[in-house]
Amino acid sequence: MAIYSVGRKRVIIALLLTTVLLLTLDLRGNPVVDAVREGFTVAMRPVEAATGVVTNPIERAWHGIVDYDDLEQENIALQEQVDRLIGTTAAAEAAVIEGKELQALYSLPSLSGIDTEVARVVGYSANNLDQVIEIDKGSSSGIEVGMPVVNQAGLVGKVTRVLTNSARVMLVTDARYAVAVKVTSSDQVIDEAPTDTTPSGLEPDEVVAAGTTTTTTVPGSSFPVPTYPNGLPVPETTLPGATADPVFDENGRQLTPDEVAALEAAIVAAAEAASSEPTTSDPGTELAEAAAEPSSTTSTTTTTSTTVPIIEKEYGLIEGRGGFRLPQIKFVADSPSLAELQAGDLVETAGGSTSLAPPGIPVGRVLNRADRPGSGGPLLDVELHADLDRLNFVRVVLYKPLSEVGQ
Amino acid sequence: MFAAFVQGPLVRIIPVGMIMLALQRTIFVELQVDGVIIQVMMATAAAAGVAGGSERGALVGFVFGVMFDLVEGTPLGSTAIAMTIAGVVGGLLALIAADPQWWLNALFAGLGTAVGAMTIPLVRLFIGESDPFQDRLTVVVPVVAVAGAAMSPVLVPLGRWCLRMKRPEWSRPIDNEPVS
Repeated sequence: MAIYSVGRKRVIIALLLTTVLLLTLDLRGNPVVDAVREGFTVAMRPVEAATGVVTNPIERAWHGIVDYDDLEQENIALQEQVDRLIGTTAAAEAAVIEGKELQALYSLPSLSGIDTEVARVVGYSANNLDQVIEIDKGSSSGIEVGMPVVNQAGLVGKVTRVLTNSARVMLVTDARYAVAVKVTSSDQVIDEAPTDTTPSGLEPDEVVAAGTTTTTTVPGSSFPVPTYPNGLPVPETTLPGATADPVFDENGRQLTPDEVAALEAAIVAAAEAASSEPTTSDPGTELAEAAAEPSSTTSTTTTTSTTVPIIEKEYGLIEGRGGFRLPQIKFVADSPSLAELQAGDLVETAGGSTSLAPPGIPVGRVLNRADRPGSGGPLLDVELHADLDRLNFVRVVLYKPLSEVGQ
Repeated sequence: MFAAFVQGPLVRIIPVGMIMLALQRTIFVELQVDGVIIQVMMATAAAAGVAGGSERGALVGFVFGVMFDLVEGTPLGSTAIAMTIAGVVGGLLALIAADPQWWLNALFAGLGTAVGAMTIPLVRLFIGESDPFQDRLTVVVPVVAVAGAAMSPVLVPLGRWCLRMKRPEWSRPIDNEPVS
């Protein structure tokens, strides 16, 4: 049995002082500490891999017992969401492409020209305080501290520590995370269920099955936005939500790169032809002729008319508040004469010469608004587009702010 | 020096710590209770304190904490302080009873784990993090403590093995035998 003595107290004090010393060294930045950290991480990798293999059946059994009902409910909800999104993808893509055109027109910075690096999520934080993930790409892939990380849905976080072949990403929900954002709104919420996507009377899934070519127009620009025969949008952009995914024909066969290139050329030609002759009275007929070329199969026409006037309302700073609380936007001023901040407003990164994130990365949607007395301005709770609990693959945007380029 | 290392506790603490760390980062990240990650390394440090006293518990907590900080990327020493304190508290509480029952060991280990879990945000506060004390802590600390107590029947013998200690054997003193 342990007996307490003065000598033992000295040992405890020595250990505590050593931890304080280590803490000081690490916080001030020490290359030796960094080297030891990287070496130990490499040494732990095979141990973790072996442990993962051994404990995998236990994890699966646990999830099978605990999460089955949740999974079933989620599956139903997701199916409904997928059905809804199929009909609205084209409209959203139209808005994105129009935005890119406007950005190019005014020489605004855009995500289109920024390289990205796809990485796999290999680990989550093992403590209850930090919201951090680990990815399997590091400095050898050009990743640096501070670079933003996104997935298909939107902003995920930023890189906070880089090793040779791995990196740690602080999620948007971490209490230490903050990035400049802008709050925008549109008169019409884009992801609402469409009503006139299939004038031929077919359901969206029937349209896809029949090899239909779908074309969307945005009034004001009269610019047709074609999609592939199976309903997939043209993979032209590097924005979250639109990547160079494989393209399939109506029979499920993956198109070769040459076929995709030919298809894209035909679509661009069709788009140019249509844009030279703006359509206002009956866009459906002409756009159908313009966009029907890419598909050699039976084509019908679908036209979606969506009005999406974007209003930039306010700039602010989004801050994480821990894993179980929504991130919040601070430092915003409500100006009812221009536009009132309200639930449903869209949030995206604001960019700027010193911001670590480029402008235009979708972050989420305002869920709640809390007014504060005085000049503090309202607080906006933001529901993130990205589901941070289920991250498998992420994309590191290899972006450096203008203030750091060349350093 | 080499002989001292081989015969000392570190030769067992380090490999056990690596295995516990691997378990912490794999299975215990998945097996969450009410969204709380069970801190098995913290519980092991507290259990080692219960088994071997505050000094040895502090040593185990220090080694485990440094290993955790190295791999997790948290500031080096921040978790080590918390785990050291968990081991110390477990050891100090164990002084209450000479030969505690298993449930007393579980209680001591649970309390040591709880104190360690509460120390982490305190350390983060000292190193400049804003608002590390989240409301969620009221759920995290009890869950971590109960889990530590529940695992103590396994972790206390493990801590005893790491420290090369044997279970104390108590015998009734013979009245006529002179005390040496």
